[in-house]
Amino acid sequence: MTSRLIFRVLIALVAFTVLARIPVGFDVGFKFDAGLAVIWAFALLSLVLLTGYVGQISLCQATFAGVGAYAAGMMSATFHVDYIVAVAVGVAAAFALGVIVGLPALRLHGITLAIVTLGIALVFDRYVFQDHAFEWLTGGTGGWRVGQASMFGLQMDSSKHLMGAYVVLLALFCLVALLLVNLHDSGAGRRFRAIRDSELAAATMGVNLTRYKLLAFGMSAAIAGMGGAFYPLVAGSVSPQPFWLFTSLQFAAIAVLMGVRYVPAAALGGAFMAFVPDVLTRYGHGTLFGRQYEISYDWFQIAVGVLLIVQLITLPDGVWGDLRHRVLNARSAAGALRGRKVEVA
Amino acid sequence: MLRVRDVTVRFGGIVALDGVSLDLNRGEILGLIGPNGAGKTTLFNCISGVIAPDKGTIFFEGHSLVYAPPHVRARFGIARTFQNLQLWGSMTVAENLVVPMDALGRRNTFSDALHLPFSSYAERASMERARAILHVLDLDRYAGTLAGDLPAGIQRRVEIARALAMRPRLLLLDEPAAGLDAQETARLAELLHAVRERFHVSMLLVDHDMSLVMRVCDYVYVLDFGKLLARGQPAAIRTDPKVIAAYLGEESKKLEGEVATVVPTRPQHAPLLEVKQLAAGYGGLEVIRDVSLEVRPGEVVACIGANGAGKTTTLRAISGMIHPRRGRVMFGGRDVTGTSAERIAQLGLIHIPEGRGLFPNLSVEDTLRLVSNTAGHDVNITPAFELFPKLRQRRRQLVGTLSGGEQQMVALGRAILSEPRLVMIDEMSQGLAPTVVRQLFDIIRVFREQGIAVLLVEQFVESALDVADRAYVFEHGSIRLSGPAVELRADRKLVAGSYLGTAVDATAVAAANGNGHHVDPALMEIVSVRVPAKVKRALEQRAEVEGRPTGAVAIELLEKVDHQ
Repeated sequence: MTSRLIFRVLIALVAFTVLARIPVGFDVGFKFDAGLAVIWAFALLSLVLLTGYVGQISLCQATFAGVGAYAAGMMSATFHVDYIVAVAVGVAAAFALGVIVGLPALRLHGITLAIVTLGIALVFDRYVFQDHAFEWLTGGTGGWRVGQASMFGLQMDSSKHLMGAYVVLLALFCLVALLLVNLHDSGAGRRFRAIRDSELAAATMGVNLTRYKLLAFGMSAAIAGMGGAFYPLVAGSVSPQPFWLFTSLQFAAIAVLMGVRYVPAAALGGAFMAFVPDVLTRYGHGTLFGRQYEISYDWFQIAVGVLLIVQLITLPDGVWGDLRHRVLNARSAAGALRGRKVEVA
Repeated sequence: MLRVRDVTVRFGGIVALDGVSLDLNRGEILGLIGPNGAGKTTLFNCISGVIAPDKGTIFFEGHSLVYAPPHVRARFGIARTFQNLQLWGSMTVAENLVVPMDALGRRNTFSDALHLPFSSYAERASMERARAILHVLDLDRYAGTLAGDLPAGIQRRVEIARALAMRPRLLLLDEPAAGLDAQETARLAELLHAVRERFHVSMLLVDHDMSLVMRVCDYVYVLDFGKLLARGQPAAIRTDPKVIAAYLGEESKKLEGEVATVVPTRPQHAPLLEVKQLAAGYGGLEVIRDVSLEVRPGEVVACIGANGAGKTTTLRAISGMIHPRRGRVMFGGRDVTGTSAERIAQLGLIHIPEGRGLFPNLSVEDTLRLVSNTAGHDVNITPAFELFPKLRQRRRQLVGTLSGGEQQMVALGRAILSEPRLVMIDEMSQGLAPTVVRQLFDIIRVFREQGIAVLLVEQFVESALDVADRAYVFEHGSIRLSGPAVELRADRKLVAGSYLGTAVDATAVAAANGNGHHVDPALMEIVSVRVPAKVKRALEQRAEVEGRPTGAVAIELLEKVDHQ
């Protein structure tokens, strides 16, 4: 058990050092993409917990991220607190909203729960994030501009110090991801998975459904909110557009595409969501057979849809999940060929 | 320990339970049985907390259970298993056992995620205990296997193991023998006895499978129509005429002469439907295996047997509603195994499923006109009205607003309009009053006069045997007995055996009477399957001492018991 823990910590450390180095030397656009990738990865990670572990459906993860972003933006722009305090407030706000959204989940399942969370996303998208009544939170139509921000006393505003924010964000992501992997095999993780596999059996075997479902929604929202809280820092400002309803749907689609039960799939999905559209718009134009062509952002949406269909047929456990199975199978097959003792389930 | 007093439950206008009281003492295994719709599942759900009773009290060791949520009942020491297997399929068997232990202990999500020493220590302790329980139940080798990958029989045992992981004082078992074959049921019975001795737990057992209830329980409560019909020791219950009547329906008072008018089987015809070694099931459960039967043109054949014996599954596999796993289905000389349901219907094999398969929002007339769709040409619907004049008056009424009997008439009328060669009817009389049932059985006779073959699945055994030419008795997913209906009717005890788990005695006695002490190998197989290992060994020893075949000794002993 402990050796597995050490192995996981090492993997997380290696991933952190490698990923932290990669954007160095690229232009600001890619650095921004890198930051965005981790923010989206946080949102996908929140679905790994909520959908992958606990089996609950949510179509309002972007709303949780948005609440985190606006709360952090407000703390930073209005109260000029250290940015890590702003992040903490953003996480707390998202957690509270998550617990509230979790209340209907105590009674609802499947499609009805999806519709309710969709409604919440719609309400926040159209009403809260864009209404005058909530200007204290959203900073009006212009949103919050985070010009001067520091974390742990270090200067961290967007354009010049993007790398600093990225490194802190990445470190937090690795930490949370490590916690989630650990959670999966722990007692609490088993209780979560028990709820996913059979709610009825879980309740009869002494699992307090109310407590664990609300906890799952709260924790999931907090994780999405943590990523969102860094958005104002990375982007320099915060507006409703990145946190609208469609982003929530995209989170759900990409989480399933990459493998909703696996933590590394969240990182993969985040990178996919941030880089692919940008690469498409940067390099997706030119001439082919003498004709001008241009690939717009819409193509990304279509690609996601097509990939999702292909994936559900060929890789039902998600890109990461199925590749993982294949590698593990190949390894045990290779072990068998070499005459080693192989654990066969 | 458990006291149930005057519990009443109503669903809409129907009284599912009417003032039922029940007592369970410490260390007891209590059986709760009754025919379909008797209310035993409702009572079980009241005790396990799925539904709240409208009236009455339920106390467990001084705690009222009426409003306790499931996880609180778990803390009181009540555990349960599920009829439809509710293991956590994506976890290993050992993990399945650890969850309830953890959930009942004091644990903290964050220290768990951090693998703090406090959590890891408790974790290791739980894992140790899980392994100990698995060892006792002889499940060690499955500890690391995903629960969802196990066969149904093993999953049942794991469910019991998981329930025991809660250190319960009372274990509620919901149809633990459902989907198990005779051998697995026998092993389950042994297991339950072992569990009581090793874990000092009382049990409440609800099951259709009488062989299990009779073998395991100390005391049995019988429900019928929501009321307590009888209670007592299993041996007394088994021979109680009230109980037998509740299961088989009233012994009909028909004269022997009338029964003899039943048209004898017509072996000269080639069979219309021929089923050979059919096996089918759902998911991990194989519900029927090795079912072979045939229906000749114009013949009425009944399938009878206890609930869950595989009758409905057989019909569904024949009509193409589920895919057979093995075996063949021949209809009218054609192999229709695995053919789609609508294609089979077009060939003239009509299946009226349980619940009748009607469209509640269509009128009677529209429902009947729909037949034109299957037939491919316009169908005159007057024959249906001639058969059921009542339907003519209701032709504009929506089917969903008709009474159950009228709905069944619509289903039968629809069937006859499509000019079928064979009609399969599943539980025609379910939920209907006896007078209505009698009318419907008369219609079956009309079917036969018109040369339409009928395959019936029926719980009113007496009525079914009255109308049928031949019958098959199902038990544990295969056919236990078959023969002309007249013979089966005469041997009431034999048929009762398949319902009340006395088939061994009955068959053994029948064989002994017929053949003296000649041992039928097939019989020996039944005896060896159904007798606990200890008894079997004792039999073998005695047989060796006396220098006789084991089967002969078994039959002699069974005969003795029968005489006493």
